[in-house]
Amino acid sequence: MDAEPAPRMERRSLLKWAVAAPALAGLAAFASPLLRFLKPNVDKFKIYAPVTNDVARGETIVAATLDDIPRPWDYKYFVFTQKYPQYTPEGFKAANMPGVVVRLPYKVPLPVQWARTIGKEPQVTESDIIVYSRICPHLGCIYNYVPNWREVTAGYGGYVPPDARKHALMACPCHLSIYDPADREMPGRVLSGPAPRPPRTFLYRVEGTSIIVTDVEPGGIA
Amino acid sequence: MWEALRDWIRERREKLNLFDETLAARQDNPMFLLGPLLYYFWLITVVTGVVLMIWYEPTTTGAFSSIERIQHEVPLGWLIRGLHKYAADGLILTIILRIYRMYFLGEYKKPGELSWMLGFLGLVLAMISGITGYLLIWNQRAFWAAKTVLSVPVYFDEIPLIGPMGFGSMIAYVFLGGPAVGQATITRFYALHFGISLVLLILIEVFFQRTRRRRINMSLAPMILFMVMLVVISYILPAESGRRADPTRTPLPILSDWYFLALYQYVKYTPPLWAGLGPGLLIGFGMLVPFLDRSRGRRPLERPFFFVVGLMALIYFLVFTTLILFNIAVIERDPFIVMVVTVAVLFGALLWELRYRRRQRSAPPRAAPAVRPHAAG
Repeated sequence: MDAEPAPRMERRSLLKWAVAAPALAGLAAFASPLLRFLKPNVDKFKIYAPVTNDVARGETIVAATLDDIPRPWDYKYFVFTQKYPQYTPEGFKAANMPGVVVRLPYKVPLPVQWARTIGKEPQVTESDIIVYSRICPHLGCIYNYVPNWREVTAGYGGYVPPDARKHALMACPCHLSIYDPADREMPGRVLSGPAPRPPRTFLYRVEGTSIIVTDVEPGGIA
Repeated sequence: MWEALRDWIRERREKLNLFDETLAARQDNPMFLLGPLLYYFWLITVVTGVVLMIWYEPTTTGAFSSIERIQHEVPLGWLIRGLHKYAADGLILTIILRIYRMYFLGEYKKPGELSWMLGFLGLVLAMISGITGYLLIWNQRAFWAAKTVLSVPVYFDEIPLIGPMGFGSMIAYVFLGGPAVGQATITRFYALHFGISLVLLILIEVFFQRTRRRRINMSLAPMILFMVMLVVISYILPAESGRRADPTRTPLPILSDWYFLALYQYVKYTPPLWAGLGPGLLIGFGMLVPFLDRSRGRRPLERPFFFVVGLMALIYFLVFTTLILFNIAVIERDPFIVMVVTVAVLFGALLWELRYRRRQRSAPPRAAPAVRPHAAG
Protein backbone atom coordinates (compact mmCIF):
# COMPACT_ATOMS: atom_id res chain seq x y z
CA MET A 1 0.00 0.00 0.00
CA ASP A 2 2.49 2.59 1.06
CA ALA A 3 5.60 3.10 -1.02
CA GLU A 4 7.90 4.24 1.75
CA PRO A 5 11.31 2.57 1.53
CA ALA A 6 11.80 1.96 5.25
CA PRO A 7 8.49 1.96 7.10
CA ARG A 8 8.84 3.10 10.71
CA MET A 9 6.02 0.93 11.87
CA GLU A 10 5.17 -2.55 10.74
CA ARG A 11 1.78 -3.12 9.25
CA ARG A 12 0.77 -5.55 11.96
CA SER A 13 1.56 -3.20 14.83
CA LEU A 14 -0.25 -0.38 13.06
CA LEU A 15 -3.31 -2.57 12.75
CA LYS A 16 -2.98 -3.59 16.38
CA TRP A 17 -2.99 0.04 17.41
CA ALA A 18 -5.89 0.80 15.10
CA VAL A 19 -7.92 -1.85 16.90
CA ALA A 20 -6.64 -1.19 20.38
CA ALA A 21 -7.23 2.56 20.47
CA PRO A 22 -11.02 2.50 19.90
CA ALA A 23 -11.31 -0.55 22.12
CA LEU A 24 -9.57 1.28 24.96
CA ALA A 25 -11.67 4.37 24.36
CA GLY A 26 -14.78 2.26 24.51
CA LEU A 27 -13.59 0.68 27.73
CA ALA A 28 -12.99 4.12 29.21
CA ALA A 29 -16.50 5.14 28.20
CA PHE A 30 -17.84 2.11 30.04
CA ALA A 31 -15.65 2.79 33.06
CA SER A 32 -16.73 6.39 33.49
CA PRO A 33 -20.25 5.62 34.74
CA LEU A 34 -18.69 2.99 37.00
CA LEU A 35 -16.58 5.71 38.58
CA ARG A 36 -19.68 7.83 38.96
CA PHE A 37 -21.26 4.84 40.61
CA LEU A 38 -18.71 5.26 43.36
CA LYS A 39 -19.39 8.96 43.70
CA PRO A 40 -22.73 9.84 42.15
CA ASN A 41 -23.18 13.43 43.22
CA VAL A 42 -20.45 14.95 41.06
CA ASP A 43 -20.59 15.83 37.41
CA LYS A 44 -19.55 13.46 34.67
CA PHE A 45 -15.78 13.01 34.39
CA LYS A 46 -15.27 15.09 37.53
CA ILE A 47 -14.46 12.12 39.73
CA TYR A 48 -11.27 13.76 40.98
CA ALA A 49 -13.16 16.78 42.31
CA PRO A 50 -14.45 15.44 45.59
CA VAL A 51 -15.96 18.45 47.30
CA THR A 52 -17.97 20.27 44.64
CA ASN A 53 -21.44 19.45 45.91
CA ASP A 54 -20.41 18.06 49.24
CA VAL A 55 -20.69 21.22 51.32
CA ALA A 56 -22.55 20.47 54.50
CA ARG A 57 -25.35 22.60 55.89
CA GLY A 58 -25.65 23.13 59.61
CA GLU A 59 -28.63 23.92 61.79
CA THR A 60 -28.40 27.05 63.92
CA ILE A 61 -28.82 26.20 67.60
CA VAL A 62 -28.37 27.70 71.02
CA ALA A 63 -25.20 26.05 72.27
CA ALA A 64 -25.27 27.47 75.78
CA THR A 65 -26.44 30.44 77.78
CA LEU A 66 -24.19 32.89 79.55
CA ASP A 67 -25.45 31.48 82.86
CA ASP A 68 -24.08 28.05 81.95
CA ILE A 69 -20.53 29.35 81.95
CA PRO A 70 -20.30 32.18 84.48
CA ARG A 71 -16.71 31.69 85.71
CA PRO A 72 -13.40 31.31 83.84
CA TRP A 73 -12.65 27.76 82.63
CA ASP A 74 -16.33 26.82 82.75
CA TYR A 75 -17.41 24.90 79.71
CA LYS A 76 -20.46 23.33 78.15
CA TYR A 77 -20.67 20.58 75.56
CA PHE A 78 -23.26 20.76 72.82
CA VAL A 79 -24.04 18.91 69.61
CA PHE A 80 -24.43 20.69 66.30
CA THR A 81 -26.19 18.86 63.48
CA GLN A 82 -24.78 19.03 59.98
CA LYS A 83 -26.42 17.60 56.90
CA TYR A 84 -23.90 15.93 54.64
CA PRO A 85 -24.58 14.66 51.14
CA GLN A 86 -24.05 10.92 51.14
CA TYR A 87 -24.16 8.25 48.52
CA THR A 88 -27.17 6.39 49.79
CA PRO A 89 -30.71 6.37 48.42
CA GLU A 90 -31.67 9.06 50.97
CA GLY A 91 -28.86 11.21 49.64
CA PHE A 92 -27.81 12.80 52.90
CA LYS A 93 -26.72 11.98 56.37
CA ALA A 94 -27.30 14.12 59.44
CA ALA A 95 -23.98 14.01 61.27
CA ASN A 96 -23.57 15.13 64.83
CA MET A 97 -20.71 17.54 65.36
CA PRO A 98 -19.89 17.85 69.00
CA GLY A 99 -18.64 21.21 70.20
CA VAL A 100 -17.61 22.90 73.40
CA VAL A 101 -18.22 26.45 74.60
CA VAL A 102 -15.40 27.65 76.84
CA ARG A 103 -15.24 30.72 79.04
CA LEU A 104 -11.67 32.00 79.19
CA PRO A 105 -10.25 34.25 81.91
CA TYR A 106 -9.18 36.87 79.35
CA LYS A 107 -10.06 37.96 75.83
CA VAL A 108 -8.38 36.30 72.88
CA PRO A 109 -8.62 36.97 69.13
CA LEU A 110 -10.98 34.33 67.75
CA PRO A 111 -9.60 32.29 64.83
CA VAL A 112 -12.56 32.89 62.50
CA GLN A 113 -10.80 34.09 59.34
CA TRP A 114 -12.12 30.99 57.57
CA ALA A 115 -15.63 32.47 57.62
CA ARG A 116 -14.88 34.42 54.42
CA THR A 117 -14.37 31.17 52.52
CA ILE A 118 -17.99 30.17 53.12
CA GLY A 119 -19.22 33.71 52.49
CA LYS A 120 -19.99 34.73 56.07
CA GLU A 121 -18.90 37.66 58.15
CA PRO A 122 -17.97 36.75 61.74
CA GLN A 123 -19.95 38.76 64.27
CA VAL A 124 -17.56 38.26 67.15
CA THR A 125 -13.83 38.42 66.50
CA GLU A 126 -12.44 38.97 69.98
CA SER A 127 -13.96 37.57 73.12
CA ASP A 128 -13.42 35.57 76.28
CA ILE A 129 -15.97 33.05 75.01
CA ILE A 130 -14.70 30.65 72.38
CA VAL A 131 -16.55 27.80 70.70
CA TYR A 132 -14.49 24.85 69.44
CA SER A 133 -15.53 21.91 67.34
CA ARG A 134 -14.61 18.85 69.38
CA ILE A 135 -13.63 16.89 66.29
CA CYS A 136 -9.89 16.49 66.53
CA PRO A 137 -8.19 18.12 63.52
CA HIS A 138 -5.76 15.19 63.46
CA LEU A 139 -7.78 12.08 62.56
CA GLY A 140 -11.30 12.98 63.58
CA CYS A 141 -11.79 11.52 67.03
CA ILE A 142 -13.72 13.53 69.62
CA TYR A 143 -11.36 15.15 72.06
CA ASN A 144 -12.27 16.10 75.61
CA TYR A 145 -12.17 19.31 77.55
CA VAL A 146 -10.19 18.41 80.66
CA PRO A 147 -10.75 20.94 83.46
CA ASN A 148 -7.84 19.62 85.53
CA TRP A 149 -4.49 19.42 83.72
CA ARG A 150 -3.33 16.62 86.05
CA GLU A 151 -5.84 14.35 84.39
CA VAL A 152 -4.13 15.08 81.07
CA THR A 153 -0.81 14.01 82.56
CA ALA A 154 -2.29 10.86 84.05
CA GLY A 155 -4.53 9.64 81.25
CA TYR A 156 -3.18 11.04 78.00
CA GLY A 157 0.37 9.75 77.70
CA GLY A 158 2.21 11.62 80.43
CA TYR A 159 2.41 15.17 79.04
CA VAL A 160 3.30 17.73 81.71
CA PRO A 161 2.41 21.29 80.68
CA PRO A 162 4.79 24.17 81.49
CA ASP A 163 3.82 26.27 84.52
CA ALA A 164 2.20 29.01 82.46
CA ARG A 165 -0.22 26.49 80.96
CA LYS A 166 -1.20 24.59 84.09
CA HIS A 167 -4.91 25.16 83.61
CA ALA A 168 -7.75 23.44 81.82
CA LEU A 169 -6.57 21.77 78.60
CA MET A 170 -8.14 19.84 75.76
CA ALA A 171 -6.87 16.35 74.98
CA CYS A 172 -7.72 13.66 72.45
CA PRO A 173 -7.98 10.03 73.58
CA CYS A 174 -7.01 8.54 70.22
CA HIS A 175 -3.53 9.83 69.48
CA LEU A 176 -2.90 12.03 72.51
CA SER A 177 -2.91 15.48 70.90
CA ILE A 178 -3.14 18.17 73.57
CA TYR A 179 -4.45 21.68 72.97
CA ASP A 180 -4.37 24.89 74.98
CA PRO A 181 -7.83 26.49 74.67
CA ALA A 182 -6.56 29.80 76.06
CA ASP A 183 -3.41 30.55 74.09
CA ARG A 184 -3.23 34.31 73.61
CA GLU A 185 -2.00 34.33 70.03
CA MET A 186 -3.42 31.11 68.64
CA PRO A 187 -6.34 29.75 70.68
CA GLY A 188 -6.26 25.97 70.63
CA ARG A 189 -2.50 25.82 70.06
CA VAL A 190 -1.17 22.26 69.82
CA LEU A 191 0.99 21.64 72.88
CA SER A 192 1.84 18.01 72.24
CA GLY A 193 0.95 15.18 69.94
CA PRO A 194 0.59 14.66 66.21
CA ALA A 195 -2.17 17.19 65.45
CA PRO A 196 -1.20 19.49 62.57
CA ARG A 197 -3.30 22.51 63.59
CA PRO A 198 -5.57 23.88 66.33
CA PRO A 199 -9.13 22.56 66.53
CA ARG A 200 -11.72 24.03 64.20
CA THR A 201 -14.02 26.71 65.58
CA PHE A 202 -17.66 27.72 65.35
CA LEU A 203 -19.08 31.09 64.38
CA TYR A 204 -21.41 32.39 67.05
CA ARG A 205 -23.32 35.44 68.16
CA VAL A 206 -24.74 36.38 71.51
CA GLU A 207 -28.43 37.29 71.69
CA GLY A 208 -29.60 38.21 75.15
CA THR A 209 -28.01 35.50 77.24
CA SER A 210 -27.99 32.87 74.48
CA ILE A 211 -24.84 31.86 72.65
CA ILE A 212 -26.06 30.92 69.20
CA VAL A 213 -23.75 28.91 66.95
CA THR A 214 -24.38 29.18 63.24
CA ASP A 215 -21.54 27.61 61.27
CA VAL A 216 -18.55 25.38 61.74
CA GLU A 217 -15.24 25.60 59.94
CA PRO A 218 -15.34 23.14 57.04
CA GLY A 219 -12.84 20.30 56.73
CA GLY A 220 -12.16 16.95 58.32
CA ILE A 221 -14.37 13.90 58.44
CA ALA A 222 -17.37 14.03 60.74
CA MET B 1 11.69 -5.80 27.15
CA TRP B 2 8.16 -7.22 27.20
CA GLU B 3 9.52 -10.63 26.27
CA ALA B 4 12.03 -10.49 29.13
CA LEU B 5 9.28 -9.55 31.57
CA ARG B 6 7.03 -12.31 30.27
CA ASP B 7 9.79 -14.87 30.63
CA TRP B 8 10.54 -13.63 34.11
CA ILE B 9 6.91 -14.00 35.15
CA ARG B 10 6.53 -17.42 33.52
CA GLU B 11 9.61 -18.75 35.27
CA ARG B 12 8.37 -17.50 38.66
CA ARG B 13 4.87 -18.74 38.04
CA GLU B 14 6.09 -22.26 37.54
CA LYS B 15 7.82 -22.14 40.91
CA LEU B 16 4.95 -20.25 42.54
CA ASN B 17 4.25 -21.39 46.04
CA LEU B 18 1.09 -19.80 47.40
CA PHE B 19 0.40 -22.03 50.38
CA ASP B 20 3.65 -24.01 50.62
CA GLU B 21 1.99 -26.64 48.45
CA THR B 22 5.31 -27.53 46.83
CA LEU B 23 6.98 -28.05 50.18
CA ALA B 24 4.84 -30.97 51.31
CA ALA B 25 7.92 -33.10 51.99
CA ARG B 26 8.92 -30.77 54.82
CA GLN B 27 5.61 -30.98 56.61
CA ASP B 28 7.15 -32.49 59.73
CA ASN B 29 8.54 -29.03 60.43
CA PRO B 30 5.72 -26.83 61.78
CA MET B 31 7.23 -23.81 60.03
CA PHE B 32 6.18 -25.33 56.73
CA LEU B 33 2.73 -26.07 58.04
CA LEU B 34 2.05 -22.34 58.00
CA GLY B 35 1.07 -22.27 54.33
CA PRO B 36 -1.64 -24.94 54.38
CA LEU B 37 -2.74 -23.68 57.77
CA LEU B 38 -3.23 -20.24 56.24
CA TYR B 39 -5.49 -21.64 53.56
CA TYR B 40 -7.35 -23.72 56.10
CA PHE B 41 -8.04 -20.75 58.37
CA TRP B 42 -9.09 -18.72 55.37
CA LEU B 43 -11.63 -21.32 54.27
CA ILE B 44 -13.08 -21.49 57.79
CA THR B 45 -13.38 -17.69 57.81
CA VAL B 46 -15.14 -17.62 54.45
CA VAL B 47 -17.59 -20.40 55.29
CA THR B 48 -18.51 -19.01 58.70
CA GLY B 49 -18.71 -15.55 57.15
CA VAL B 50 -21.35 -16.73 54.71
CA VAL B 51 -23.32 -18.23 57.59
CA LEU B 52 -23.07 -14.94 59.48
CA MET B 53 -24.37 -13.07 56.43
CA ILE B 54 -27.67 -14.86 56.87
CA TRP B 55 -28.23 -13.14 60.20
CA TYR B 56 -26.28 -9.93 59.87
CA GLU B 57 -28.01 -6.67 59.03
CA PRO B 58 -25.75 -4.02 57.44
CA THR B 59 -27.42 -0.85 58.69
CA THR B 60 -26.26 1.73 61.19
CA THR B 61 -29.32 1.15 63.33
CA GLY B 62 -29.50 -2.64 63.11
CA ALA B 63 -25.91 -3.83 62.84
CA PHE B 64 -24.99 -3.86 66.50
CA SER B 65 -28.28 -5.48 67.59
CA SER B 66 -27.98 -8.12 64.91
CA ILE B 67 -24.49 -9.00 66.16
CA GLU B 68 -25.84 -9.25 69.69
CA ARG B 69 -28.63 -11.46 68.44
CA ILE B 70 -26.16 -13.71 66.63
CA GLN B 71 -24.05 -13.93 69.76
CA HIS B 72 -26.82 -14.63 72.26
CA GLU B 73 -29.99 -15.84 70.56
CA VAL B 74 -29.21 -17.63 67.31
CA PRO B 75 -28.52 -21.32 67.99
CA LEU B 76 -24.74 -21.84 67.90
CA GLY B 77 -24.40 -18.22 66.75
CA TRP B 78 -21.63 -17.67 69.29
CA LEU B 79 -19.72 -20.57 67.76
CA ILE B 80 -20.03 -19.32 64.18
CA ARG B 81 -19.04 -15.81 65.18
CA GLY B 82 -16.20 -17.08 67.36
CA LEU B 83 -14.89 -19.28 64.57
CA HIS B 84 -15.09 -16.37 62.14
CA LYS B 85 -13.19 -14.04 64.45
CA TYR B 86 -10.57 -16.45 65.73
CA ALA B 87 -9.96 -18.08 62.36
CA ALA B 88 -9.43 -14.58 60.95
CA ASP B 89 -6.99 -13.81 63.77
CA GLY B 90 -5.28 -17.12 63.07
CA LEU B 91 -5.15 -16.24 59.40
CA ILE B 92 -3.38 -12.93 60.08
CA LEU B 93 -1.04 -14.59 62.56
CA THR B 94 -0.07 -17.34 60.13
CA ILE B 95 0.48 -14.85 57.31
CA ILE B 96 2.77 -12.78 59.53
CA LEU B 97 4.69 -15.82 60.77
CA ARG B 98 4.96 -17.18 57.26
CA ILE B 99 6.27 -13.86 55.96
CA TYR B 100 8.90 -13.86 58.69
CA ARG B 101 9.83 -17.45 57.83
CA MET B 102 10.18 -16.54 54.16
CA TYR B 103 12.22 -13.52 55.11
CA PHE B 104 14.67 -15.15 57.48
CA LEU B 105 15.12 -18.25 55.35
CA GLY B 106 15.67 -16.16 52.24
CA GLU B 107 12.78 -17.83 50.41
CA TYR B 108 12.14 -14.60 48.54
CA LYS B 109 15.27 -15.07 46.49
CA LYS B 110 15.11 -16.35 42.96
CA PRO B 111 12.80 -18.00 41.98
CA GLY B 112 10.64 -17.11 44.97
CA GLU B 113 10.17 -13.41 44.24
CA LEU B 114 6.60 -13.72 43.04
CA SER B 115 5.61 -16.02 45.91
CA TRP B 116 6.99 -13.49 48.36
CA MET B 117 5.23 -10.55 46.73
CA LEU B 118 1.90 -12.35 46.63
CA GLY B 119 2.33 -13.43 50.24
CA PHE B 120 3.02 -9.87 51.27
CA LEU B 121 0.10 -8.55 49.24
CA GLY B 122 -1.99 -11.19 51.00
CA LEU B 123 -1.08 -9.67 54.36
CA VAL B 124 -2.10 -6.19 53.18
CA LEU B 125 -5.41 -7.47 51.80
CA ALA B 126 -6.05 -9.50 54.95
CA MET B 127 -5.53 -6.38 57.05
CA ILE B 128 -7.90 -4.38 54.81
CA SER B 129 -10.38 -7.20 55.10
CA GLY B 130 -9.90 -7.08 58.86
CA ILE B 131 -10.53 -3.37 59.19
CA THR B 132 -13.54 -3.41 56.86
CA GLY B 133 -14.82 -6.40 58.82
CA TYR B 134 -14.69 -4.92 62.22
CA LEU B 135 -16.57 -1.77 61.25
CA LEU B 136 -19.51 -4.08 60.55
CA ILE B 137 -19.94 -4.72 64.28
CA TRP B 138 -20.67 -0.99 64.60
CA ASN B 139 -19.25 -0.70 68.07
CA GLN B 140 -17.18 2.13 69.49
CA ARG B 141 -13.84 0.64 68.53
CA ALA B 142 -14.99 -0.04 64.99
CA PHE B 143 -16.46 3.39 64.44
CA TRP B 144 -13.42 5.32 65.62
CA ALA B 145 -11.01 3.01 63.84
CA ALA B 146 -12.86 3.54 60.56
CA LYS B 147 -12.91 7.26 61.07
CA THR B 148 -9.22 7.61 61.89
CA VAL B 149 -8.09 5.21 59.18
CA LEU B 150 -10.08 7.07 56.54
CA SER B 151 -8.87 10.46 57.75
CA VAL B 152 -5.29 9.39 57.02
CA PRO B 153 -5.54 9.55 53.20
CA VAL B 154 -6.99 13.08 53.41
CA TYR B 155 -3.50 14.25 54.38
CA PHE B 156 -2.11 13.01 51.06
CA ASP B 157 -3.50 16.28 49.72
CA GLU B 158 -0.57 17.99 51.46
CA ILE B 159 2.01 16.30 49.23
CA PRO B 160 3.44 18.85 46.80
CA LEU B 161 2.49 18.52 43.10
CA ILE B 162 0.21 15.48 43.27
CA GLY B 163 -1.48 16.57 46.49
CA PRO B 164 -3.58 19.48 45.18
CA MET B 165 -5.34 17.20 42.70
CA GLY B 166 -7.25 15.87 45.68
CA PHE B 167 -6.65 12.16 45.27
CA GLY B 168 -6.25 11.79 49.02
CA SER B 169 -9.70 13.08 49.88
CA MET B 170 -11.08 11.20 46.89
CA ILE B 171 -9.83 7.92 48.36
CA ALA B 172 -11.42 8.79 51.70
CA TYR B 173 -14.71 9.89 50.13
CA VAL B 174 -15.02 6.83 47.94
CA PHE B 175 -14.53 4.51 50.91
CA LEU B 176 -16.77 6.56 53.21
CA GLY B 177 -19.47 7.08 50.62
CA GLY B 178 -19.64 10.73 51.66
CA PRO B 179 -17.87 13.10 53.99
CA ALA B 180 -18.86 11.26 57.17
CA VAL B 181 -18.93 7.72 58.52
CA GLY B 182 -22.49 6.54 58.05
CA GLN B 183 -24.80 4.14 56.31
CA ALA B 184 -22.97 4.43 53.00
CA THR B 185 -19.71 3.52 54.76
CA ILE B 186 -21.13 0.38 56.31
CA THR B 187 -22.58 -0.73 52.95
CA ARG B 188 -19.31 -0.19 51.15
CA PHE B 189 -17.26 -1.88 53.85
CA TYR B 190 -19.65 -4.84 53.78
CA ALA B 191 -19.17 -5.17 50.04
CA LEU B 192 -15.39 -4.87 50.31
CA HIS B 193 -15.11 -7.23 53.25
CA PHE B 194 -16.81 -9.98 51.34
CA GLY B 195 -15.52 -8.98 47.91
CA ILE B 196 -11.82 -9.26 48.76
CA SER B 197 -12.15 -12.87 49.87
CA LEU B 198 -14.52 -13.78 47.07
CA VAL B 199 -12.31 -12.46 44.27
CA LEU B 200 -9.13 -13.94 45.72
CA LEU B 201 -10.79 -17.29 46.30
CA ILE B 202 -11.88 -17.48 42.66
CA LEU B 203 -8.41 -16.55 41.42
CA ILE B 204 -6.77 -19.13 43.64
CA GLU B 205 -9.25 -21.80 42.62
CA VAL B 206 -8.35 -21.11 38.97
CA PHE B 207 -4.69 -21.44 39.88
CA PHE B 208 -5.19 -24.77 41.59
CA GLN B 209 -7.35 -26.08 38.77
CA ARG B 210 -4.63 -25.26 36.26
CA THR B 211 -1.69 -26.57 38.22
CA ARG B 212 -3.52 -29.57 39.68
CA ARG B 213 -1.77 -29.15 42.96
CA ARG B 214 -3.22 -30.29 46.22
CA ARG B 215 -4.99 -27.45 47.98
CA ILE B 216 -4.35 -28.15 51.64
CA ASN B 217 -1.14 -30.08 52.21
CA MET B 218 -1.95 -31.01 55.71
CA SER B 219 -2.82 -34.31 57.29
CA LEU B 220 -6.06 -34.72 59.18
CA ALA B 221 -4.48 -34.51 62.63
CA PRO B 222 -3.45 -30.84 62.59
CA MET B 223 -6.70 -29.89 60.87
CA ILE B 224 -8.73 -31.42 63.66
CA LEU B 225 -6.38 -30.04 66.28
CA PHE B 226 -6.69 -26.47 65.06
CA MET B 227 -10.45 -26.79 64.63
CA VAL B 228 -10.76 -27.95 68.22
CA MET B 229 -8.54 -25.07 69.30
CA LEU B 230 -10.79 -22.56 67.55
CA VAL B 231 -13.92 -24.08 69.08
CA VAL B 232 -12.41 -24.09 72.56
CA ILE B 233 -11.26 -20.48 72.29
CA SER B 234 -14.69 -19.42 70.97
CA TYR B 235 -16.26 -21.10 73.97
CA ILE B 236 -14.04 -19.84 76.78
CA LEU B 237 -13.34 -16.41 75.26
CA PRO B 238 -16.49 -15.44 73.31
CA ALA B 239 -15.91 -12.79 70.64
CA GLU B 240 -16.51 -9.38 72.18
CA SER B 241 -19.10 -6.91 70.94
CA GLY B 242 -18.06 -3.85 72.94
CA ARG B 243 -20.44 -0.91 73.08
CA ARG B 244 -22.65 0.41 70.34
CA ALA B 245 -20.97 3.13 68.25
CA ASP B 246 -21.56 6.60 69.66
CA PRO B 247 -20.47 9.31 67.21
CA THR B 248 -20.42 11.95 69.94
CA ARG B 249 -18.06 10.27 72.37
CA THR B 250 -14.59 8.82 71.86
CA PRO B 251 -13.77 6.36 74.63
CA LEU B 252 -10.51 6.58 76.57
CA PRO B 253 -8.41 4.52 76.22
CA ILE B 254 -9.31 3.17 72.82
CA LEU B 255 -7.48 0.33 71.09
CA SER B 256 -7.71 -1.34 67.71
CA ASP B 257 -7.34 -4.99 66.71
CA TRP B 258 -4.07 -6.50 67.86
CA TYR B 259 -2.35 -6.43 64.49
CA PHE B 260 -2.94 -2.68 64.15
CA LEU B 261 -1.71 -1.77 67.61
CA ALA B 262 1.92 -1.14 66.62
CA LEU B 263 0.77 1.03 63.73
CA TYR B 264 -1.52 2.89 66.11
CA GLN B 265 1.41 3.73 68.39
CA TYR B 266 3.38 4.89 65.36
CA VAL B 267 0.52 7.21 64.36
CA LYS B 268 0.73 8.88 67.77
CA TYR B 269 4.38 9.69 67.18
CA THR B 270 4.31 11.11 63.68
CA PRO B 271 2.75 14.05 61.85
CA PRO B 272 -0.41 12.84 60.10
CA LEU B 273 1.01 12.86 56.58
CA TRP B 274 3.67 10.39 57.69
CA ALA B 275 1.04 8.27 59.37
CA GLY B 276 -0.03 7.40 55.84
CA LEU B 277 3.30 7.55 54.04
CA GLY B 278 5.20 5.45 56.62
CA PRO B 279 3.11 2.28 56.25
CA GLY B 280 3.00 2.91 52.49
CA LEU B 281 6.79 2.97 52.34
CA LEU B 282 6.93 -0.11 54.55
CA ILE B 283 4.64 -1.98 52.16
CA GLY B 284 6.71 -0.76 49.22
CA PHE B 285 9.90 -1.91 50.91
CA GLY B 286 8.34 -5.29 51.69
CA MET B 287 7.23 -5.78 48.11
CA LEU B 288 10.65 -4.82 46.74
CA VAL B 289 12.80 -6.78 49.22
CA PRO B 290 13.61 -9.52 46.66
CA PHE B 291 15.08 -6.91 44.34
CA LEU B 292 16.84 -4.83 46.99
CA ASP B 293 18.62 -7.74 48.61
CA ARG B 294 21.32 -8.72 46.11
CA SER B 295 23.35 -10.86 48.51
CA ARG B 296 23.98 -14.45 47.47
CA GLY B 297 23.41 -16.40 50.66
CA ARG B 298 20.07 -17.58 51.88
CA ARG B 299 21.00 -17.99 55.52
CA PRO B 300 20.35 -14.96 57.76
CA LEU B 301 24.00 -14.50 58.77
CA GLU B 302 25.05 -14.47 55.13
CA ARG B 303 23.14 -11.22 54.58
CA PRO B 304 23.63 -9.27 57.82
CA PHE B 305 21.96 -6.01 56.77
CA PHE B 306 18.63 -7.52 55.80
CA PHE B 307 18.77 -9.85 58.76
CA VAL B 308 19.07 -6.86 61.11
CA VAL B 309 16.29 -4.97 59.30
CA GLY B 310 13.93 -7.92 59.69
CA LEU B 311 14.86 -8.36 63.31
CA MET B 312 14.33 -4.66 63.97
CA ALA B 313 10.88 -4.74 62.33
CA LEU B 314 9.92 -7.64 64.58
CA ILE B 315 11.22 -5.93 67.71
CA TYR B 316 9.51 -2.63 66.88
CA PHE B 317 6.25 -4.48 66.27
CA LEU B 318 6.46 -6.09 69.71
CA VAL B 319 7.71 -3.00 71.55
CA PHE B 320 5.14 -0.64 70.05
CA THR B 321 2.36 -3.12 70.77
CA THR B 322 3.51 -3.38 74.40
CA LEU B 323 3.79 0.40 74.77
CA ILE B 324 0.27 1.01 73.54
CA LEU B 325 -1.18 -1.73 75.73
CA PHE B 326 0.25 0.07 78.76
CA ASN B 327 -0.81 3.45 77.30
CA ILE B 328 2.73 4.83 77.36
CA ALA B 329 3.50 7.48 74.77
CA VAL B 330 5.53 10.50 75.75
CA ILE B 331 5.40 12.30 72.45
CA GLU B 332 8.17 14.78 73.33
CA ARG B 333 10.64 12.03 74.17
CA ASP B 334 9.93 8.79 72.35
CA PRO B 335 10.18 9.65 68.63
CA PHE B 336 13.68 11.04 69.19
CA ILE B 337 14.78 7.83 70.93
CA VAL B 338 13.21 5.71 68.20
CA MET B 339 14.95 7.71 65.48
CA VAL B 340 18.35 7.55 67.17
CA VAL B 341 18.07 3.82 67.82
CA THR B 342 16.90 3.13 64.26
CA VAL B 343 19.69 5.12 62.64
CA ALA B 344 22.34 3.64 64.95
CA VAL B 345 21.16 0.07 64.36
CA LEU B 346 20.92 0.53 60.59
CA PHE B 347 24.40 2.06 60.53
CA GLY B 348 25.77 -0.81 62.58
CA ALA B 349 24.08 -3.30 60.26
CA LEU B 350 25.64 -1.59 57.27
CA LEU B 351 29.09 -1.80 58.85
CA TRP B 352 28.53 -5.48 59.59
CA GLU B 353 27.44 -6.09 56.02
CA LEU B 354 30.50 -4.32 54.60
CA ARG B 355 32.87 -6.17 56.93
CA TYR B 356 31.23 -9.48 56.07
CA ARG B 357 31.55 -8.82 52.35
CA ARG B 358 35.18 -7.75 52.62
CA ARG B 359 35.95 -10.91 54.55
CA GLN B 360 34.08 -12.97 51.95
CA ARG B 361 36.16 -11.44 49.19
CA SER B 362 39.50 -11.92 50.91
CA ALA B 363 38.68 -15.46 52.00
CA PRO B 364 39.86 -18.19 49.64
CA PRO B 365 37.02 -19.12 47.27
CA ARG B 366 35.31 -22.29 48.33
CA ALA B 367 32.68 -24.14 46.38
CA ALA B 368 30.80 -20.87 46.00
CA PRO B 369 31.06 -19.18 42.60
CA ALA B 370 33.15 -16.05 42.24
CA VAL B 371 31.63 -12.79 43.46
CA ARG B 372 29.56 -11.29 40.72
CA PRO B 373 30.17 -7.60 40.14
CA HIS B 374 26.71 -6.42 41.17
CA ALA B 375 26.78 -8.52 44.30
CA ALA B 376 29.99 -6.93 45.43
CA GLY B 377 28.05 -3.70 45.93
